[in-house]
This record gives sequence, structure tokens and C-alpha cells, in this order.
Amino acid sequence: MKLIWRQIFVTALVWVFATTSTFLAADSPAVEGEKYFETHVRPLLVEHCYKCHSSRSQKREGGLLLDSMAGWSVGGGKGPAIVPGDVDASLLISAVRYTDPDLQMPPDNALPNDVVAVLERWVAMGAPDPRDHESAEEIQRGNPSDPIAGRDHWAFRPLAVPSQDGPAVKAIDWPRSPIDSFVLAELEAANLSPAEDADRRTLVRRVYFQLIGLPPTPEQVAAFLLDDSEEAYVRIVDELLNSPQFGQRWGRHWLDLARYADSNGLDENFLFREAWRYRNWVIDAVNADVPFDQFLREQIAGDLLPHESVAQRDRQRIAAGFLAIGPKVLLGNDPNQQRMDVADEQLDTIGRAILGQTLGCARCHDHKFDPIPTADYYALAGILTSSQVMERRYMLGEQRLMEQLVGLGSDGEQLDAAYEKYWRERPQLLEQQKQAKSALEILEKADAGAFEIFAAEHADAVAEGVADSTKNSEQRLEAQKAFVAALGASIAKPPEIPPRAMIVGDAETPADETIRLAGQFDRHGEKVPRGFLRVVSDTAVEIPSGHSGRLELAHWLTDVNVGAGRLAARVLANRIWYHMIGRGIVRTVDNFGRTGEMPSHPELLDHLARELIDSSWSVKSLIRKIVLSRTFRMRSHHHEAAHAIDPENRLLWRAHRRRLDPESLRDAMLSAAGILDVKPMDSTVSYLGDQATAVGDNSNRRRTDFPCRSVYLPVIRNDLPELFGVFDFADPHATTGLRSQTMVATQGLFMLNDVSVMDAAEATARRLLAMESTSGSEPEARLDQLFGLVLTACPTDDERLELLAFVAETQKRFEEDSDTNAEVRAWAMVCQALFASSRFLVLE
Amino acid sequence: MRCHQFLPTTTRRAMLQNSAAGFGSLALAALAGQQAVADQKLSPALPPLPHVAARAKRVIFLFMWGGPSHVDIFDPKPQLSAISGQPLSGKSVGSDADSVGTALGSPFKFAQHGDSGVWISELFPHLSRQADRMCVIRSMHTEGSAHGEALLRLHTGQANLVRPSVGAWVSYGLGCESDNLPAFITISPPRGHGGVQNYGSAFLPAMHQGTAIGSAEIPLAKAVVSNLANQRLDKGLQRSQLDLIQSINRRHLRDTTVDQNIEGLIANYELAFRMQSTMPQIMSLSDESKETLELYGIDSEPTDNFGRQCLLARKFAENGVRYIQVSTDYTWDHHQKVQPGHVKESAKVDRPIAGLIEDLARRGLLEDTLVVWGAEFGRTPMVENGDGRNHHPKAFTMWMAGGGVRGGLTYGSTDDFGYAPAENPVHMHDLHATILYALGLDHERLTFRHAGRNFRLTDVFGNVVHDVLV
Repeated sequence: MKLIWRQIFVTALVWVFATTSTFLAADSPAVEGEKYFETHVRPLLVEHCYKCHSSRSQKREGGLLLDSMAGWSVGGGKGPAIVPGDVDASLLISAVRYTDPDLQMPPDNALPNDVVAVLERWVAMGAPDPRDHESAEEIQRGNPSDPIAGRDHWAFRPLAVPSQDGPAVKAIDWPRSPIDSFVLAELEAANLSPAEDADRRTLVRRVYFQLIGLPPTPEQVAAFLLDDSEEAYVRIVDELLNSPQFGQRWGRHWLDLARYADSNGLDENFLFREAWRYRNWVIDAVNADVPFDQFLREQIAGDLLPHESVAQRDRQRIAAGFLAIGPKVLLGNDPNQQRMDVADEQLDTIGRAILGQTLGCARCHDHKFDPIPTADYYALAGILTSSQVMERRYMLGEQRLMEQLVGLGSDGEQLDAAYEKYWRERPQLLEQQKQAKSALEILEKADAGAFEIFAAEHADAVAEGVADSTKNSEQRLEAQKAFVAALGASIAKPPEIPPRAMIVGDAETPADETIRLAGQFDRHGEKVPRGFLRVVSDTAVEIPSGHSGRLELAHWLTDVNVGAGRLAARVLANRIWYHMIGRGIVRTVDNFGRTGEMPSHPELLDHLARELIDSSWSVKSLIRKIVLSRTFRMRSHHHEAAHAIDPENRLLWRAHRRRLDPESLRDAMLSAAGILDVKPMDSTVSYLGDQATAVGDNSNRRRTDFPCRSVYLPVIRNDLPELFGVFDFADPHATTGLRSQTMVATQGLFMLNDVSVMDAAEATARRLLAMESTSGSEPEARLDQLFGLVLTACPTDDERLELLAFVAETQKRFEEDSDTNAEVRAWAMVCQALFASSRFLVLE
Repeated sequence: MRCHQFLPTTTRRAMLQNSAAGFGSLALAALAGQQAVADQKLSPALPPLPHVAARAKRVIFLFMWGGPSHVDIFDPKPQLSAISGQPLSGKSVGSDADSVGTALGSPFKFAQHGDSGVWISELFPHLSRQADRMCVIRSMHTEGSAHGEALLRLHTGQANLVRPSVGAWVSYGLGCESDNLPAFITISPPRGHGGVQNYGSAFLPAMHQGTAIGSAEIPLAKAVVSNLANQRLDKGLQRSQLDLIQSINRRHLRDTTVDQNIEGLIANYELAFRMQSTMPQIMSLSDESKETLELYGIDSEPTDNFGRQCLLARKFAENGVRYIQVSTDYTWDHHQKVQPGHVKESAKVDRPIAGLIEDLARRGLLEDTLVVWGAEFGRTPMVENGDGRNHHPKAFTMWMAGGGVRGGLTYGSTDDFGYAPAENPVHMHDLHATILYALGLDHERLTFRHAGRNFRLTDVFGNVVHDVLV
């Protein structure tokens, strides 16, 4: 749960987005301008111009629209109608001035001088215009959704072939790699120079957090500081890349994109009991550096790929959970609506996570900005609606449409079938048991007539031979008793939940989809053959009959020659850069469309994408190249002159600072306390009921008291652990390439008051006090040890004085209260203060 | 369906550069130092606010979880009673089916109240005395026949996609009037049926998410705000610890010269510390007079719990919170025994709600506080399980009071049986548009750029119901 309060530094945010009391009271020029527009300009535009120049008019003379800012700024056949601030250069003004015989508006009569003056004044003010979207559709020039013309957009162009070593630079000593040359060239072009290298403590902390999400231990730091050779750095980088903790961090980056969760979310928040297998598959695959193209193919079509062993088959099946793990509206929905909604959710995920494209926009109409016509959307949707991720299963006493599961292991399918059969037949078994008991009662009363009637009606409630009245009544009684007992036993012992995985499968009758008019599932348009985005390739796809086309989709997504592979490589390279450097080369990491940002370093992006493809899609090798670059190693300090030129640090004149994500935050605290267990975990939700957020008070949820790494904590949609909510964990309902990094007061409350923080602080204090043998029991030595554990730093003299004085004083206060744990408590308060400090929360 | 909400990038950027708000959002990027801003900062600047004259400054939304029956409370249907027990023909309610079920007339007596003659049944005797302040909308309709879907639509306008909640939009649109409290507080919110999504911020900046106090299943008297108090340190010790933290932070800031994150962090700790005392002060009802407590039915049953919620809502309203939601527990879902069920549930909320309106009026707060009462849907005019009623999103009643609505007005109507809207249907999107309008916000202009396009609360729908506003 994110508890978000208004915070002071965001006053600016409120000021901008929200209360404009400041805004209005101050009457800034912009407000003044808009007032002027509303009082003077709009009425006269409506009166004199809209008749021919508005989106609602039939005429649209000269192609010019004056009912929106976009309309006049794009202009008509003669170009922009207004140049804000430049009265004489504005066509609109010359037209109303009636000075140019070829351009006189309005055509019938010139406007009165005072009206012209109003327009002149308005243009001189910069033409402030609050009308933001009144005719957006109409002002489009050409057709933005045209897939062929759209190939000109930078993201769809072929990868550039930059020089292997990067561009020429002046400061030839600075670059350590081509990456650095690309960065430096841009800096030099802007008269900027890169920051100095970060000091080695800062660097080692940064590299540990970025690669494995944990701080280095004081021993690891000490070893690194002893050897300042490049080899020592390379050695650490390689160790970290090969450590199992690497996947626990980098796997989580993919899980953000895969909208991983342990429950369905939305209206019926059923538990995804099996989702953890997919989570662990991702972590393992990242650790094994499975080539990224293969990693994608297994997730899109793992169920359809060939396999040589049951183990491989199961891994691929688990991977194919990617499409099944999204949130779905489960109740109260038309099944056809649900099918389209599920496909839409999958397309949105594939589009943004893999291609950086907002495909979902083309569900209701051709994409307004990007070259994705509705036909392409439904060509892809056909593949997904020809696949299925839902099946009917028994859950909480009724048959429901639930996520599809498949048994794992050589006998998995039988076990799954037996399990489902039990729950499907349980109501009948219960009924049978009830009747068998009745039969027994009648039998005990020795009412032969009644029994005969009963047995005839309920043959399945009577044990074999019992109906035979010629047999010994004692034996019959015993047989029926045994029968009742056996029924009771089988009801009481449901089969164990077999190992299963969430999975996608091909539908029974794959088929092409019709375009849905206005996106409404029941309004059918033209049928479109299944296929891919034409902006990327026009190779027609051949889907064997009876197949969904998902396998073909998997190959197309990763094919660098005739498929979307180059785009996918760009998107991935950018994501890796974003995680390592702190900002994407394209900062809108999930949106490479026309509404996204342009790359700050396009050649570098293409260079990285090429490196990725050339290394057979090895994510680790690209990360290694970045982490060994000098760019990665810069310090993060502010520099006034550079800031004046590039305030957002887009060109990378320094390293970006980052606030720790919640996983690193928690793992680092537990690690300082010496209680973090880095071993992989299986399910952390197995103790929950089928309804993940039951209506009613269920205190079992959101457990975070496992000592495991945070990547294994429960991710219940709509009920995230407090820590996750407060520190901007990804919303697991949708692909999240870019988590927010807010700084809000609830984070302060969490660090000051949350029991988990205080527990970690106390454990750290106890650990520290027990460390005497190695570092001496002097408070100074302890403090140094603590700084090393928590901050990878040494205290300054000032800090040492202040903190030790605090310890002494606080310990004294506890002692005065006869607290037997005074020393631990005093140190725990210092530990907590360090955890809560910016030195810990902000990664340099 | 048409989206009127797109602008080409170039123009949007040009606009950013031209407007002060645009400058602000750029400044924000520098200030907040968040990379999330990368996408958001391309948001078109909000037009100056308010878009229209604001009638209300805040909203108190009284949510009746489960769905009260409109034909038993606000929408009397003598014809339904006349055919009670007989099939309700599809033809009579515009349905293709031969029969939509068996009619169940209301067991409750209705009467007209106040000078305006608003119809209210005997279930709400206290509220009836506030009739002239109420604007009853009888022609509400929505989609979603299951609670989860309908709750999400009521609170966020959408069910199959995660969208910001109404309160989050209001917080985003109006900001907060208080230095010590969030703009959006939800008292005892439901945990199920979408849970936090019903007061979430989705893609809006996280600060706009509702702050939850307790949850529907817990009596308010036992509810706490997470981490508002330290269980191990007394205030003096904690202050000394905070001073130490701030000293470390300030030293860090000095070393790095400029960093808005660290400055923000320092400010946040002070705010957090202040909130630790402000919140409990407001949440404590000890400074309220006996008369006030009685007005809300506090300290007597069955009104104590909801009375506390309503009184707390008033206190938050007084202290500058913009959007306050109060929720019942999941108790209005009477598939069986609608009569005793409704008697029991209305008794819990009638006096507290009437007390809230009266109290707001006495304090001069009602004129700029919009009170909204309603649920995710109504209940069928047809019987279910012998003596119950099923979910009914096709038609139901909500009412508003205060903040710029026309008191004593009954707006819209349903057919003779309460099955479907007859006159002036008001969709949930229309209600959302109207709530925003009352607050001075134009639902078509209150937009946020996300994933490449502008989003708004009402998607591509919604019409302001001007007739219910003064």
C-alpha cells in the first residue's frame, strides 16, 4: 500500500499540476496571456473564422484550422498561420490586415482595426492558446498510421553502422571503450567534459548494487582497495556477473516488464499459486545468460518449442507462463469480451516490453501517431485469440474460468488430472457419502422394504453386494460401514496439489480475427489474416493450419533480418543502459514511438544494439561492456557550469544519482544485519488461501518476514508489501520499464517507525557489538565498522564526534531508565539513523 | 468512440515552452530528479485551474459497499408492489426476454419529505429531515454486474485496465490545502473487489494515491495509519535520532552542493515527524462536544462506527483534505432477506449521515463540500432467493448534497418498476464528470500523459449533468 502524503519539495509539483492558487494569484504572464485569449481572442476567432476554419466546419478552407493551437501551428497549405511573437511573419496577421492582395481574410470584409489590433497583440504575446486538443484528429498531416511511411521513424530504421571504435574525440585519453567515445563526443560538442572518476569506495558500492542489488561487505571493499589495478576491477565485475545474486537483481528487471505477480488482481484477486516457478525460471535464465532472443521465444511459445527432455519441456512450459500471468477480469464479463481483453493485455505487454510500441492504442482506431493501423493490431490479436490462457477449473466450490495450468514432471499430467477430478467430483462424492450413510442407517434399522426402495434409487450409495438381501445381514452391514468409511477417507484426503505451471496453449480452432469497430468486441469489421506489424516487415506469415501463429510470432519478434529483432535489440540495449546508467538513451524506455523521446545518443544506441546482436544476444556481455566503460565510473557530483548547459544531465557529464529501490533497500539492511539468506526460494505464498485478498480481515497477507531476498517476497496485486508500496515498486498490473523514484513523507515514516527497519537496525547493532574480536571494542572502531557495513564509507572526523556523542548520551539515557539493553539500543538507534539517511538511500 | 485527446508531439512541446505550467513541469524534472518524469514531463501542461467556476472545494463520498436497493429507499414503485409475486414482463421494462423475473414490491413505506417533497422510505428517518439539502438522482446506471467490476468502475471509471481513482484525479487537479495532511484520504476502504486500486493513483504521481485509514472490516476506533507512531522510542528520543539523521543528510548535501533529492528527503523527514502528531490529533475525537458526538450517533449502537467515520470525514474536510471517502463494510449485498437486511444496515448509517450533513451546514462547510452517497450498483426489482434482490447496474439511485448541487431536486427517473432509466439517464461517467465540474475541473481537460497519450477519468465518455448544479 502506497501511503502518499503531500511532501514539501513537491510543492512545486502541486503548484504545477494542481492547485494553481499560487499560480492564479500571481497572475504570471502565461495566465495573463490565457486570460487575454479567453476574453478577447477566442470570441472573435469563433465569430469571424470558425465558420470556414474549424474542425466542425465543412469547409476547412486552405486546410487551415483555427480552433486549436495545433491547427494554426501546423497551418494550412501555406504553412504555419502564426509565428508566436512575430506579428509580421504571421500569415494570419497579414491576411487580416488585408495588405496582401492574394491573402485577405475574412474574404468578404476586412475586420475592424480594433479587432486586428487584438489579434496582433495576441500574436505579439506569443499567441498563448489553452485549447489543447479540440481538433487533434483533423490536423494530422498525411496518415501517421501508414506502416510503410512509418518506416522513416528512427526506431524502425536499420541500425546505423557507426565506426567500431566510436567517433573521434579531442580528449583521447579519457575513453576506455567505444561507449566512452560516443558519450565524450557529444559532451565535447556541447563544450562539456566528463566528471572525474568516482573514488573506489563509491565505485565498488555502485557496481555491487547495480549488478547484484547488494552492498559489498567490508572485506570485499578492503580487498578491492588493496589492489587498484584495472584487473582488480574487471575481476570483481566478472565475479558479480557470475554470482547467483546477479539473476536475483536483473531477473527482477524483467519481472517488472512481465508484470509478474502472485495473484490475478483486478476484480477477483485469486492467488497464482504457481507463478513463482516463472519467477524462478526468469532468475535462472538470467543467471545462465540464456541468449535474449531465445529467452523471448520461450516466453511467447515455450509450449510449442521442441525439447529433448522432460526437464527442458517443463522449463519451456514454465517460460510460456509469460502470456498467462497478466491480470484478467474474471467475473461479470462476456466471454468474447474477455477473450479480446486478454489478448489486448498481452499485446500491450508484448508491445511495450519487447518493442517499445504502444500497440494498445490501435485497438479502437488506427494509431494516432505511430504507424500501427488497426488491421495490424487485429492481425496480431488473431494470433493471441487463437491461443488460450484460461481454462475451466474448480475453485472455491464452483467451476470458474481460471488461468490455464499444466502438470510438470513425467507424470505431471496424470497428477493434475487426478487433482482436478477430485475437486470436480467432490460435490458428488459428498452427496454419495450422505446417501451411503442414509443407506447404512436404514440397514441398521433392518427395514428391508425401505432399504430395497432406497437401494433402487441410490444404487451408487450402496456397497457392492449389500443390496443382495440373500446375504448375511451382518456382512451387509459391515460392507456398507466399510463403504461409508472408504468414501469418508477419500473425501478427507484430497490429492496434494501437483507441481504445475501457468501456461499458454493453442486454441482448438485457431482463426483470424475481424477488426472490431471502435474496439467493441461485438462490432465486427473486416477480417484480417493473422500477421505482424507491417511497419517492421512486409513478409507475409505462413501459419500452418491448426496453429495459432504464436511460434511464428516468437520468431518474428527476434528475427533481426526480416522480423522485429533490430527494434527489440534497440529496446533491450536501451533498458540495460537505463539500469546501469540511470537514464535511458531514450528516456521513455517503454515508448519508442513518435510520442516517446528521441535518443540522446542515437549512434551509441545503435552501437549497443549491434553489440548485443553480435554477441548472440548476451545480456551479460553488454552489461560487462557498460560497467567497464569509463562513463559508468564517473562521479555524481554537481557541477555548476555543466548544470547550466545541461541541467538534466542528458549528455552524461556526471553519473546520475538514484534512490535505492525497495528490494535493494531491504536486502542491504538485512545484509548489514548479517541475516539475509541469499538462497533461492520457492513459493512465498503457499500459506495463502485461493483468494489472495479475501473480503474479510486476512492478516496472513503481505508477509515480508522471510529472511530471503526481496525478489522472492509475495507480489499480491492490489496488496503489495508496505515497503514496496512506499518505495515505488512496479505496479504489477502492467509492464513497467520505468519505476517512479519519488521522495515522499511516507518513506520517512517507514524509515523512522517501521518495525522491520527497527529490527534490522537492532540486529545490525547486535552483530556490531559481537564483532569485538576482529575490530576491537573501542567505539571508534565500531563506528568505522558500522559505516563500512551500511554505507561502504568511513566516517569523517565530524561525523565520528557527533555519532559517538549520540551513542554515549543515548546509552546513558537508557541506563538511567535501567534498560539492560542500553548499549544495544543506543547503537540500534545509530544504525537506524544511518539506514534512514540520504547516504544510504541515495546511491551515488 | 472518439478520443479527442491527441496532439502531435511537436505541438505539444511548443506548447510546453509557451506556457508557464510547462515551465513548471520542466522545473519539476530538475526538482524531483526523478526519471519517471522523463515520460511525464512531456505531459501537456494543464490549462490554468480551475477550468470553470468551482462550486465545491472538496468531496465527501459515502460509499455503501454491496449495493443498497433503490426501490426500497429512494425510488418508490407502486406498480411494482401491485404486481409483487408475479412475473415482471420483459416488454414492460424494455428487455427482449419474456420475463425478467418475479417482481418483488418494496416492503417499506415511502413518504415525501421537506418543502421539496423528496421521496424517501422509512429506512432513513434522520436523513429524511435533510431532504431539502439533497439532490436525488434516480436514473444512475453503470456496467458490471459483479461487485469487483462495478466497484472499479465506480471508483476509477474502468475495470479491465488500471486507472487512477476519482480521488487521485481530484488530488492531481486541485492539490492539497493542508501542509500536514494528504489531499485524498479514504476511511475504512474495502480490501476486496479491487482493493487499493479503488483509491490508487495508477500512472498519476504516487503522491495522489489515497491514504487509507483502517479498512472496512475493522472498526474505525481500532484503525491505525501505518507507521504513524514509533512503538519503541519516546518522542524525545525519536527527535534526537531525527536530528542525527538530518545532520548526516545535511552534511551529505553540503558535500554534493546541490541535490534536490537530498533536499526533498530532509523536508520529508520533518513533514513525517509533524504528521506523527497532527494525524492522531485529528483522529482523536476527544475535543468534540457531547452534542456533536450525539449528532453522529457516536457512543451508541448501531451507529457508533459509521458515526466515527463521518465525524472524522468532517474533521479532515475542515483541515483541508480534498477528497474523503467513507465506506461501510460489505454489508449491503442482500441476496436474501432484503427487508431485515436493509433495516439493519440503514440503521447503522442513517443518523451518522444526517448528522454529517447537519454538522457541515452548522459549520458553514456544507456550501463548499460536495457530499455524494451511493454504491457500485442498485438491486433488482425482481426477487432472488425468495426474499432477496440481486445486483442491478442498469438503474439505481445516488444522491448529492452541499457544494453547488440543487437541494430538494429529484433528477431523472426509472420506468414503472425501477428496472431501467426512463428520463435523463446519468451514467457513472456522467457522475464523475459532474463531480469534477462541481470542483471547477473540466473532465475533458483534466488529463495526464501516460504511455504516449493523454488519459482522463472519463476516458472518451461523460457529460456534465448541469441540471443538478446550481
